[in-house]
Amino acid sequence: MTRQGIATVAQQEFRIRIRAGRWRWLLAAWFAVLLLVTVLLKLSVDQVDAGDATNKGVVVYGGLTLLVLGLALLVVPTLAAQSVNGDRERGTLATLQVTRLSAGDIAVGKLAAAWGTSLVFLALTLPLVAYCMVLGGVPFGRVVVVSLVLALLLGTVASLALCLSALLARTTTSGVLAYLTVFALTLGTLISFGLGTALTQESYTATSSCPTAAELEQQGVPAQDRPSILAGCTSSTFTATRSRTDRVWWLLAPNPFVVLADAAPQLPTETVAQARARTAQEARGIHRTNLRDADPLGVLGRSVRGLRTPPSEGGGLVSVVTGSSHRPVWPWGLGFDVVLGGAALWLTARRLRTPTRDLPRGQRVA
Amino acid sequence: MTGQGVVVQGVQRRFGEVEAVRGIDLTAHSGEVTALVGPNGAGKTTLLLVLATLLVPDAGEVRVAGFDPVTQADEVRARMGWAPDVFGLYDNLTCREYLAFCGAAMKLPKPRAKERAAELLIQARLADQADVPVHTLSRGQKQRLGLTRALVHQPEVLLLDEPASGLDPRSRVELRTLLRRLADDGTAVVVSSHLLGDLEELADRVVFVDRGQTVGEHRLDQLPTGSEPRPWRLRALDTDALLAALTRRGCDHDAPSLAGIEVRLTGDDAAAALLAGLVRDGVPVVSCQPLGGQLEAAYLELTR
Ligand SMILES: Nc1ncnc2c1ncn2[C@@H]1O[C@H](COP(=O)(O)OP(=O)(O)OP(=O)(O)O)[C@@H](O)[C@H]1O
Ligand SMILES: [Mg+2]
Repeated sequence: MTRQGIATVAQQEFRIRIRAGRWRWLLAAWFAVLLLVTVLLKLSVDQVDAGDATNKGVVVYGGLTLLVLGLALLVVPTLAAQSVNGDRERGTLATLQVTRLSAGDIAVGKLAAAWGTSLVFLALTLPLVAYCMVLGGVPFGRVVVVSLVLALLLGTVASLALCLSALLARTTTSGVLAYLTVFALTLGTLISFGLGTALTQESYTATSSCPTAAELEQQGVPAQDRPSILAGCTSSTFTATRSRTDRVWWLLAPNPFVVLADAAPQLPTETVAQARARTAQEARGIHRTNLRDADPLGVLGRSVRGLRTPPSEGGGLVSVVTGSSHRPVWPWGLGFDVVLGGAALWLTARRLRTPTRDLPRGQRVA
Repeated sequence: MTGQGVVVQGVQRRFGEVEAVRGIDLTAHSGEVTALVGPNGAGKTTLLLVLATLLVPDAGEVRVAGFDPVTQADEVRARMGWAPDVFGLYDNLTCREYLAFCGAAMKLPKPRAKERAAELLIQARLADQADVPVHTLSRGQKQRLGLTRALVHQPEVLLLDEPASGLDPRSRVELRTLLRRLADDGTAVVVSSHLLGDLEELADRVVFVDRGQTVGEHRLDQLPTGSEPRPWRLRALDTDALLAALTRRGCDHDAPSLAGIEVRLTGDDAAAALLAGLVRDGVPVVSCQPLGGQLEAAYLELTR
């Protein structure tokens, strides 16, 4: 495998793709949809009476990013799922295999072309991302990390689709299976997590304890109310059931949406002072939405971290908002996805290796 | 004689139940054109795939340009050119770009690849089509381009699978000339074809295969003349005298036609003897030629 060989294949694939012509329409439609959604998100954010107008970008960016991922997951399979068996059907694969290009050159070159094309789609969203940053509240670091993770996820999907095109003889089958793979990664992980959670139901016994006077004081309970609360409280033992999501969280980890949201660096949380000021305002009947709490990436990221946390540490669905300090899920998910993509690439190269010993039934070499 | 040509001994290859190649021996020397002939399904394409480093044989010894196509595929690829019977071309690519890409894939330096592409386009009479998309070429033009592709890196072994199918008569003549020239320059050319007439004029040696096995390997001037009677056509200035002489000699002949008289003879010796006798009898013979060609006769005899 050489750089020159990979470049030869990738250039050739790129050239043929570009000349095929459809890409213009696809790119135009892609940008139009995302532009429309950005505008709609901005308008709906404007409707909210936000106390802090400088955070509008957070919501728009989060929504946009998740949509970009969703649409890209639909586009990327088409870029790679017919790459190898399409060449075989057209009769151009064997003549490529007898050149001095190695199987690795061909596999990596084809992946580079498919992945590179998907990155063009990502690059097209950058103006919209810049707009979000202008709207405010989106740190540059977050954009960098999110873009990198997005690129890696698309590479994984491209590699999986490419692998299917190398394994299967027919382009239609590999096309369908590539989409099934995407569904397995998105909906499949969600469903298996749901089923897994159901299996972890357990009953537990807990004792509710009474607050101490000091705790009440800390919570700002007026001094005259404290004795009656303390007197009226008796500690009790109760039995209930709960799901131990901390045992099956890993089923959800490879989900691209989970990986992306969790990998996005959390926005700095409210300081104690800010929180106090807000509580005070709310007590006076002034209700202001904090747009940071509505950050789609943050909400999703915090909830999956909460799922990973054992109940003894205050885990479970209850701790969604406070979960920011919990252990992250994305390194596992992203690691799994990238390893999966790497394995798929290796398998692709293996299937492209010639001379061939075993041919799939009924498949001619040339 | 520069290269080492092709040596194949006892190659076998099966596809599941089908024994495509059951034992082929073949030697193709540098500087010679070796024809591979046999009925449909005889295993010619399969053998060429083995030689072209695409298929692993189940058994047997193979050397292409002195290297083993299984364990030394890259060395073989650097020295071998292969033009398959059916192949595809990339859409939306011009002939010139296509050949330049093939050159790059063969690791020619970029300027050399370009130069070679221009050279080959002229050779293949495709210079006028150099900058049109390949998918607009006619079938024969595509066939020529496919052959040209195999020559990009000036291989010392050239494997051609039915290169003449779809070619017009002029292109076929040109193909013959080209292959002859390549062979004279020291290339070992292996060509599978069903066009026995073409091969008879081109090939130095011929390997007959039938049902996956080599059934004969001969120099073209030493083809088995065979034990079966073959048709010959005789023509004389005086057809009546010829007819009378043939009848007198008890020769198995047909009724005269405008083209002459057909007789059935067994072997070249019989033909020579008959001709000498006719001349001695004073018959003004102008031509005596075997019908269908020697190669065809040998083919029909060897592959039943
Ligand atoms: N990939 C394959 N799978 C199953 N059978 C195959 C495969 N390739 C070839 N065969 C079988 O092997 C036999 C030899 O095929 P091959 O293509 O080598 O014949 P051929 O001599 O080139 O014939 P033709 O003159 O028609 O081109 C045939 O019976 C064919 O059906
Ligand atoms: Mg064939």
